[in-house]
Amino acid sequence: MSLFFQSLVLGVLLGGLYALLAAGLTLYFGVMRVVMIAHSAFLILAAYLAWFFTSETGLDPLLSLVVTVPLFFVTGVAMQRLLISRLRPATLTMMSVLLTFSVALVIEGMLGFVFSGTQRRIRLPYSGDSIELFGANIAVVKLIAFGLAAVSLGALFLILKKTQFGQALRATIQHPDAARLVGINTDRIAGYGFGLGLATAAIGGTALALDSTIYPSLHWHWIGPLMAIIVVGGLGSIPGAAIAAMLLGLGQSLLQIPLGTTWAQTIFYVALFATLMVRPQGFFGGRLAQRF
Amino acid sequence: MRSASDTTTATSTGRGGMLLKGAGLLVLAALVLAFPAMAPDPFILSVGVVIMSYAVLATSWNFVGGFTGYISLGHASYSGLGAYATALLVIHTGINPWVAMLLGGLVVAALAVPIGIASLRVRGASFVIVSIAMVLILLLVFQSWGEVTGGSNGLRVPRPFGPDVLRPEQHERFFYLHAALLAVALLAWWAIDRSRFGTGLKAIREDEDKAQSLGVPTFSYKLTAFVVSAFFTALGGGLYALWFGFLDPIFQFSILVGSYMVLMSLLGGIRSLFGPFLGAVIVGYAVEFFKNQYGDTQFHLVAMGLLLGIVVLFMPDGIIPAVSSLLRRFRPEAASIREVSQADLAEQRRRTSSPSTSGTARVASPADGESTGDADDGSPDRLSEGVQR
Repeated sequence: MSLFFQSLVLGVLLGGLYALLAAGLTLYFGVMRVVMIAHSAFLILAAYLAWFFTSETGLDPLLSLVVTVPLFFVTGVAMQRLLISRLRPATLTMMSVLLTFSVALVIEGMLGFVFSGTQRRIRLPYSGDSIELFGANIAVVKLIAFGLAAVSLGALFLILKKTQFGQALRATIQHPDAARLVGINTDRIAGYGFGLGLATAAIGGTALALDSTIYPSLHWHWIGPLMAIIVVGGLGSIPGAAIAAMLLGLGQSLLQIPLGTTWAQTIFYVALFATLMVRPQGFFGGRLAQRF
Repeated sequence: MRSASDTTTATSTGRGGMLLKGAGLLVLAALVLAFPAMAPDPFILSVGVVIMSYAVLATSWNFVGGFTGYISLGHASYSGLGAYATALLVIHTGINPWVAMLLGGLVVAALAVPIGIASLRVRGASFVIVSIAMVLILLLVFQSWGEVTGGSNGLRVPRPFGPDVLRPEQHERFFYLHAALLAVALLAWWAIDRSRFGTGLKAIREDEDKAQSLGVPTFSYKLTAFVVSAFFTALGGGLYALWFGFLDPIFQFSILVGSYMVLMSLLGGIRSLFGPFLGAVIVGYAVEFFKNQYGDTQFHLVAMGLLLGIVVLFMPDGIIPAVSSLLRRFRPEAASIREVSQADLAEQRRRTSSPSTSGTARVASPADGESTGDADDGSPDRLSEGVQR
């Protein structure tokens, strides 16, 4: 029973991280109809930056966010303006996949080149600490990671719902032509949307670095589940992505008890195929998802 | 598309063009056939086999990528499945390896049907996602399912030729076998290209909505192209397995192999028959050169990524179309009907409308970007054309 409860809690904590990262992927897809393969590569890049920061300065990896979040935001805007927007509109979806894929390869290669392929892990004074919660042992670092993800997701929600920029961004996602007609500079908004998406990768990466071992090719283990999540949630729907992330994260965590870690990962792919067979537009997607 | 315009130029220039093409084909075939004799040592010959294997895979990829414009990053799953199917059939049933290869191809084609049904139901993005997911799942399954696949320890494949056939001789035979498979794949591509089926597929590539409204059975066409592509890819994988003699899930189900196929095809030109072949020769040679020169460092990832990025950004049509459009400048203008891609058409419209009404054009050009292959080319465009007239 306590094992079950433990898995349940861990599943929620994992689901939170998935939700934040999937929200980023959804943003790219929303503003540009781009499937951003490099998202998880940037995630690992941020994790490496956090590790590097801590091992060089000895400060807490969370402080690296002060640098990485703005840096990733600017990188995202630059990537949208300089790379993605240069592609031909007629073949944008396919070519952007290839372009972001090539970015992912370059990042992976450079990480291996600069930091070597050795597995890295941040050592913190509170790494081994855990909190006892109704009989479940929860590592403190996992709680911090979840808190980080939850706070950022909340901030993202507030930005999208309450600010004028968020309104413009949502308008751009819903109907770019109409958004232009009411005077929104959709190109600039799309760039900022991209930057916002990449900023989630910076936060997620730092959270990831807190409690896991990182290596350059780790991003392939993340991109599959994340893409499955955004398809299940319905491409372009941020609440859908968050709900799907929570459910699948929980499912993965619970399935680890009977199946072991490797086979538990297949839940994402099973869910992906089941969704495409039963409801190709995703379970929470609207009109937007149907065409893609 | 290029092929069709080639045929129009062939009719306009008459016999001469046909003869020229025939001669070119003969020279190409002679070059390929003479390669084993010209290769100075067995290592170069083995590089030749690898390049031919890449050429087979890239050409097979191009059945779906070139005709329908659906870009699969995960075709390594079909080559890997073909390789494992062939190997397992040979090991467990002891049948003739060539029969096993063919059976393996058929098994993979049958598996590709449900995968295709799932991934082709919605447009582009999901297709790519599923193609990547397939490779990741298969890698997971083949690594963990050790008792059947050998897991991470790998699987040794029995050689089809006896031990009395020496290594260089092996390379030579497999070079010709790969060349033969490549010829079959090219022939099939050429036949589809000229058929009504191929025209339908190309219509899907340019504008799926319009194609559907004109009565093209888009879903079954896409699925058929996908299954044919998976079949040839699996044959390529099986032949490679018989040559190489050892399978490891990490290399068989690698995203990198799938992206090599894409890069090769794009670089050569996905709309041309020989584009993937040309791309395979260039990229395959470069890859082998890199490995030989710099070892297996992470740097080849960077090089591969940069090359792919450059191709996607600056020459998405590939080398062959670029060169042939250069050549066409020196020829008389073809008067008959030509195929023009959706992207070219949008570009032409934009260019003709921009001088007079730059304001509307600025509004209109992002409107085209709203979605891929969108039916409305922006009414402001058409309007400004009217103004010009």
